[in-house]
Amino acid sequence: MKPDKTPLILGILAVALALVYFLPLQIYVRHILILTLLYAFLGTGWNLMCGYAGRLSLGHSAFVAVGAYTSLLLFANFGITPWIGMLAGGVFAVIVMLLIAYPSFRFGVKGPYFTLGSIALAEIVHNLLIYFREYTGGSLGMSLPYQPTSLALFQFDGKEPYYIIILVFWLAAVFLTWKMERTRYYLEAIREDDDAAAALGISVNKNLIIAACISAFLVAIGGTFYVQYYRYIDPYSIAGFTLSLNIALVVVIGGSGTILGPTIGSFLIIPITEILRMSLGASMPGLHLFLYGILLILCIIFLPKGITSIPGIMRAKKAKKDSQLNQGAEGVL
Amino acid sequence: MSEKVLIVDNISKRFGGLQATNQVSFHVNQNEILGIIGPNGAGKSTLFNLITGFYFIDSGAITYKGERIDGLTPDKICHKGITRTFQVARPFVGLSVADNILVACLPKSKKVSEARERVHEVLKIVGLEKKADALGADLTTLERKRLELGKALATNPEVLLLDEVMTGLKPAEMDEMMELIKELRKTKTIVVVEHVMRVIMNISDRIIVLDHGQKIAEGLPKEIAEDPIVIEAYLGRGTK
Amino acid sequence: MDLVLQIIISGLLLGGIYALISIGLNIIFGVIKIVNLAHGDFLMMAMYAAFFLFTLKGIDPFVGVFIIFPAFVLLGVFIFRVMIKPLLGTAETEVNTIIATAGLGFVLQNLALMLWKSDIRAMETSMTGQSYEFFGIMLSSGRTWAFIVCLIVALLLYYVLMYTKIGTHIRAVSQDTDAATLMGINVDKIYTLTFAIGIGLVGVAGAIIAPTYNMYPTIGLYFNTMAFIIVVLGGLGSFTGALIGGLIIGLVEAFAGVLASAELAQVFSLLIFLVILFIRPEGIMGKGARV
Repeated sequence: MKPDKTPLILGILAVALALVYFLPLQIYVRHILILTLLYAFLGTGWNLMCGYAGRLSLGHSAFVAVGAYTSLLLFANFGITPWIGMLAGGVFAVIVMLLIAYPSFRFGVKGPYFTLGSIALAEIVHNLLIYFREYTGGSLGMSLPYQPTSLALFQFDGKEPYYIIILVFWLAAVFLTWKMERTRYYLEAIREDDDAAAALGISVNKNLIIAACISAFLVAIGGTFYVQYYRYIDPYSIAGFTLSLNIALVVVIGGSGTILGPTIGSFLIIPITEILRMSLGASMPGLHLFLYGILLILCIIFLPKGITSIPGIMRAKKAKKDSQLNQGAEGVL
Repeated sequence: MSEKVLIVDNISKRFGGLQATNQVSFHVNQNEILGIIGPNGAGKSTLFNLITGFYFIDSGAITYKGERIDGLTPDKICHKGITRTFQVARPFVGLSVADNILVACLPKSKKVSEARERVHEVLKIVGLEKKADALGADLTTLERKRLELGKALATNPEVLLLDEVMTGLKPAEMDEMMELIKELRKTKTIVVVEHVMRVIMNISDRIIVLDHGQKIAEGLPKEIAEDPIVIEAYLGRGTK
Repeated sequence: MDLVLQIIISGLLLGGIYALISIGLNIIFGVIKIVNLAHGDFLMMAMYAAFFLFTLKGIDPFVGVFIIFPAFVLLGVFIFRVMIKPLLGTAETEVNTIIATAGLGFVLQNLALMLWKSDIRAMETSMTGQSYEFFGIMLSSGRTWAFIVCLIVALLLYYVLMYTKIGTHIRAVSQDTDAATLMGINVDKIYTLTFAIGIGLVGVAGAIIAPTYNMYPTIGLYFNTMAFIIVVLGGLGSFTGALIGGLIIGLVEAFAGVLASAELAQVFSLLIFLVILFIRPEGIMGKGARV
């Protein structure tokens, strides 16, 4: 078995990114980095359930929204610090996840049906957010009551503190994924063939639920960060299909079912598209998303397992070629 | 000292209009090889599915080492010590051969590193060491069967249920497999479902015969080979 | 009582529209066994096509349909060859086609956004704001005609599927591709044809409903959701199921829209959808039903 290089790569990345904090960068560069790490964080959370376990959810924005609105409403109405609101949002998101995941897994809802169900869930959240407009501001959205820089209240006038926070979140998520080695293998087996996995002693539902709940929790935390950073959310952006697809896109292109895939995907895509959006967004609205879509299609056709699968593909091709050479020799006899 | 390790007591299972299993009773003794034969559709694979919890029995009882196991889910039954192979091999196609075995070793290992250490050993037993890095998807049918057996062995079972492991093997390979199974009998109890007569007759200590979901005969290989009821079931009436 | 009857009739008309919208999706899933998440966005495109044909060339949508249908069929062929076919035949086909069509939907949505901006557009045809009166019940003209078209399309499709050679081939492929191949049917050709017809039907639906809906580039999601609910409710792949599903959802929405608000009506439909997924994913007509 080859030695696991992940902690090394992760360590180098983390240090490099931490050092970036000290560089004198333009504000918009910092913004791109923050957004990139946010998507890397969201993607890593999504990846646990959808990449490893293979239950494709295109409705994860539901959980982002739950996290975001929970902490926002708790702060705006009761003055509760978003740090606690964040945890509350996470718990609430887990509850919502259990409500849909438990029956789904128990009734064996898989494949496209599961995906459609996840989209439906996000739409339910989206619609409810609009319906309860007296509390949430409806489709016009809601602003975060402004506070000058305060760590306790998770609001800062500069971008640097946000950067550090999201860096820490991201690192924690990736580290957690790396640490859950056993669960990762179980989830992969479940993804490939859940009956065969069960026959080997793997508890399918238990592992799926664990993955789903952690996934929802992490993504909800991302939602709180989103609110604190942008200081404004609306149901369409935070519970909409676009966000769900973006999260999936970043992971699929980077390599779903790998520890660093979501991060790599995020670094490949977010900076480019964010720059496109900032420069062309006014004149050509939607261009960056248009390109997202094309990129996604190309990726799924030519590299369905993402960028990180390239070394694996090469290795397997080599193993296949070697064995064909050997078999060829035997065949002659 | 032959202890009854697995006792199947009068179990039945119906699927809609089909009585797939009809009041079947038998037992398996410690360290014996029990063969199960029967014409196609007799309910052999269904029996395995019932014993390992993929289907639940409608009536009757299944007892393992004195404990009732009917009603448990497959993963729990595997932890109790019974592992089955699938008739059509089900490798984890997206994982490498080595990872396939690793996954099988994990549930019963306290640490991942422990499980990793056993992988190579298992690969050697089934002859797949050279293919450790190949993807499950790239294996030949024979290699898939070997992997299937490897995964089952990796779970360290006390009772091994083998569902048609011989299908598709060449005679020389069948001999090898038979030797392997006889080796395994030293430490395990084995139940084998097979179509290949020469194999069943060769390795089984006892044989039971199923037809249309019912047990129609039970005994030593020689007895079974001469039993007119069995012959009729396979070849149809009018063969006396 | 009159009010209830009015709601029921409106609901049925709406249901007809919904059924018309979902037929294309249903055929594609029933035969090729893939989920087309771009369905709603194709519909949106067709609506815009009808809009521009009308405002720029004065072609009424009910005539424009005859231009849009073939155009969309060709589009379907193109999309199938370029995007869908390369993904078929692997263990990950289901997942990959979902992601690919989601990406395609995105592409269409944002193409529309770039070309036509996000302003809401509405058509004013001879039918706008008109209703027929039928024994004291008001029937909106746009919806009534859409319902009629839905029936015509359904009957045509039924006839083709049941009584023509190509229809039989399609049904054969949807039941067992291997057996169909052994019988000499070119499965690839049937897949292409089915996908193309499916997209063509979406084009028809879009053109027909264009007069009755405000359009904006992201309206696709709304219709997508509706179409999927209907198709799953009725039974994926079941033709009559889609009709029944459409009618049911139409009725649900009509009543819920009156009793509660528009958003709650959607939530209600979505909840029904989730429940169906859990307890009877084969839908009302089940997988056994073929057509």
